Amino acid sequence: MKQALIIAVALIIALVLTLGLAGVDVRQGLGLMMAGAFGDKFGIARTLVRATPLLLCGLGVAVAWRAGIYNIGGEGQYLVGGLAGAGIASGLVSTAPGAVAWIALPLSAVSGALLSSFAGWLQTKRGVPCVITTIMLNFVVVQLVAWAVRGPLQEPKHQLPLTARLPDQAMLPQPDPQTDLHMGVLLAVGLAIAVYIFLTKTKTGFLIKVVGQNSRLVKTSHYKPEAYQLLAMAMSGALCGIAGGIDYLGLVGQVGDGFSQGWGFMGIPIALLGGLNVPGVAVSSLLFGALMAGGDSFARFNSIGQALVYVLQAVAVMVTLWATRRKNDS
Amino acid sequence: MLKCTDLEPILSVRHVTKRFGGLVALQDVSLDVSPGEVHAVVGENGAGKSTLMGVLAGFIVPEEGMAVSGASQIRFGEPLTMRNLGLSMVHQHFTLVPRFTVAENFALSSGAPVISRHMAHEVAKEAKAMAGDLGWSLDTDETVGSLSVGRRQRVEILKALLGGRKILVLDEPTAVLSPNEVEDLFDVLRRLKERGTAVVLIAHKLREVFSIADRVTVLRSGRAVGSCLVEDTSSTIVAEQMVGPRSSEPGPRASLESGEICLNVESIVVLGDQGNVAIDGVTLTVREGEIVGIGGVDGNGQVELAEALSGIRPIQSGKVTCASSVGYIPQDRRHDALALNLSVRDNLSVGMLRGPRANRGPFLNSALLGSLAQELIRTHQIKVVRDSLPVSSLSGGNQQKVVVARVLSQNPKLLVAVNPTRGLDFSATESVHEKIRVAAAGGAGVVLISTDTDELDALATQTRFLSRGRLTGSLLGDS
Repeated sequence: MKQALIIAVALIIALVLTLGLAGVDVRQGLGLMMAGAFGDKFGIARTLVRATPLLLCGLGVAVAWRAGIYNIGGEGQYLVGGLAGAGIASGLVSTAPGAVAWIALPLSAVSGALLSSFAGWLQTKRGVPCVITTIMLNFVVVQLVAWAVRGPLQEPKHQLPLTARLPDQAMLPQPDPQTDLHMGVLLAVGLAIAVYIFLTKTKTGFLIKVVGQNSRLVKTSHYKPEAYQLLAMAMSGALCGIAGGIDYLGLVGQVGDGFSQGWGFMGIPIALLGGLNVPGVAVSSLLFGALMAGGDSFARFNSIGQALVYVLQAVAVMVTLWATRRKNDS
Repeated sequence: MLKCTDLEPILSVRHVTKRFGGLVALQDVSLDVSPGEVHAVVGENGAGKSTLMGVLAGFIVPEEGMAVSGASQIRFGEPLTMRNLGLSMVHQHFTLVPRFTVAENFALSSGAPVISRHMAHEVAKEAKAMAGDLGWSLDTDETVGSLSVGRRQRVEILKALLGGRKILVLDEPTAVLSPNEVEDLFDVLRRLKERGTAVVLIAHKLREVFSIADRVTVLRSGRAVGSCLVEDTSSTIVAEQMVGPRSSEPGPRASLESGEICLNVESIVVLGDQGNVAIDGVTLTVREGEIVGIGGVDGNGQVELAEALSGIRPIQSGKVTCASSVGYIPQDRRHDALALNLSVRDNLSVGMLRGPRANRGPFLNSALLGSLAQELIRTHQIKVVRDSLPVSSLSGGNQQKVVVARVLSQNPKLLVAVNPTRGLDFSATESVHEKIRVAAAGGAGVVLISTDTDELDALATQTRFLSRGRLTGSLLGDS
C-alpha cells in the first residue's frame, strides 16, 4: 500500500515535471490528459481499449517471471498472434466472416504459445537463457511480419505493406459503434480472472510460484521443475499472442509493419509495477491505458504526446524498483 | 600467559535489546570481548546468537544499548566503524565468490575501489605468509569453487584476518567440519589467542566449547542467562542454562528386528555435477524400521548418493529398487529445500500437495493445507510468530524443522537424510533425532548420511562409511 502511494506521488511529480520541462502549460496539459482518458465515453472507451493489450501482455510476462523464466519476447508473441489472426482471416473472410474471430483468437493464442514454448524448451532442455532467445525471436517475428505483409498476406492491390482490412462483420462486436470499445476488452478481463484463479487457487499455479522461488525445492519434492517452467512459458506466450489477436480483430483490422506499438515490451514494466500478481497488473495496465489515452488527446495539441507516456513509464518503473529495494534493505 | 580476567575489554556491548516485530531477539544482553581470549557464545537455535553477532558486526541496529571501545562510545549499525576497530566476521554461510581465485577473493575483501593484478598479488603474498604462520598450506591461484568446505573456511578465516584485524567473530565454524578439521581449526584459534587476537565463537556443541573457550556466555530466548570463565563452570551447568527447566526422555530406539526390504541398491554408478564419477559401485539394502548410517568425510559422494537414492539424480549403471514414497532431507536447506522468500505455510504446503484431501479437482484445499501447516508448526515446535511470514525470518534451526516437518508429514516409506542436524543446537538436534526414530519405529527405512559420528552413534542400527564413492565397513549400532 505504501509502495503504491510512493509510486502514485512519484508519477504525479514526474508528470508535472515532464510537462513543465517540455514548455507546456501544466494545468492545461493535465486537463487535456484527464479529458482524453476519462472525460467522456470516448475517453473511457479509449482507456479501456489501450489497457487491454497492456493487461494481457503484462499478465503474460508476470506468469513467466513468477516461474523464474524471463520472457522478454512478449513483443514477438503479440505480433505472431496478430499475424496468425490475419492469416486465418485471409482464408475465411470471404466464405464465413462470422466465424473468423472464433477461429482466429484461439489460434493467435496457440501461435504465441508455440513461439514462447520454443524458447522455454531451449532453456529447460538445452540451458539456453530465455532472456536471449526471446529477444532474438522478436526480431525473427518482425521480419516474418514484414515478409508476410509484402507477400502472401498483402492486400489485393499490392500497393501497401499491409494486409487487407477486415470487413466490419468479421471484427469483434462493438457495443457502441461510436466508440472503439469492443468485446475483446471483456474477454481480457475474463482471462485475467481465470489467470488469477489459476495462479492462486490451483496446485499447478502454486507450484509455478514455488519453481520461480527455488526450482531445486520443487525437484527435491519429486516434481519436475522443467514441466512447470514450460507450462508457464506456454501460458505467457498464449496471453501475449491473444493480445495481438484481440487488437487485430477488435481494433486495428489489418496487420502491417507498425502493428504493435511496443505493447509486448510494455508488458514488462506493467508486470513489474504490478508486482507480478494479477490485481497489481490490472491496476497498472489501467493506469497506463489511461495515460496513453490521455497522451493521444494531448498529442493532438502538442508535439510531445506519446513520448510523455514512455517517460512516465520509465519513471514509474525506476521508482518501483527503488521502493522495493528499500523495503528489502530495511 | 596473562589470565584473561586481567585484560581490559577491547570492545563491549551493554544492555542491548532488539525486537523483530513481536519477537524479542535480544533483551538486555551485554558482552565483553577481550584480547587473547576465546569467548564462546552458546545457546539454542533462536536464542539470539546470530542477532548478537549482527549487532557486533554493525549489520543490525538494536533498539536499546550501547557499545564501548576503550574510552569512546561507538554507534551501532555502522559496519565500517566496526571494521576499522579491527573486527571481522566469519559467517556460517561463506561469503566468497566461487568463480574467483583465492587471491582474487582476498583482494575483493580489501575494500579497495579498484583492484589491480599487482594488488591481488600483494594481498595474496600477505595471506600466504599468514597461512604459513598458522601452519596452513595455501595455493592462492586455485578457484574457491574447487576447494573443499574445510579449505574454504580457511580462506574465509584468512580473509577475515587480513589487514591486521584484532577481533575475530566466528559463527558456528565447526558445523561444516569433520572432527579432524575441527581440531585443526582449534589449534589455529589457540595460536591467534596467544598473539592477542580476541575471538568470539558462536557454538552449540558444548564439548567443543569446553575444549577451546576461556569464557562462555549463555543465551536463552534472547537473554544472557550466564556468563563466566570456563574453569568456573561445567558442561552440565551450561547445558541446563541453555535449555532451561524441562523434562525429557530419550525416544524409542529403532528396533533391530527389521521388516521387508524397502530399498535395494545394486552396484550403482552415479556422476557428479562435473561429470566425475561420484558414486562408484555402491550396494546397499535397507529394511523397514532400520536406520542405516553412512559416515565419512564431506565430499566423498554423499550428496550424489542421496540424490540417486531419492530418485532425483540419474544413475549411470546398476539398479535401485525402492519403496513407493521417498522423503528426502537435503543437506543444504537454503539451496535445496526451502523457498526463502515464501511463507512458512507455503514451504510446508509443498510437501502436502499429494495428500488425499489436499486438492479438489485442480484446486488446492487451502483451508486444509492451512490447518495442516498449523498442526506441523505445533507438533514440531517451530518458533514462528505467524505462518504467513517468510521462512527466511526463521532461525536456522527452525528452518530445518520446517524441512523435517514437511518431509515426514508425507509418511515416506523410505527416508533419505543428509546431515539433517548440521548447524542445529542441542534441543533442535534432539527433536530431529526423535522424529527420525519415530519414523523408523513407524516402519520407514532410513538412510542417514552424516559426517557427525555422534549422530550416527545415536541413531544408526548399522553404520557404513563412504570413501571416494565406495562403501566400506559395516558396524552394528550398539556393538
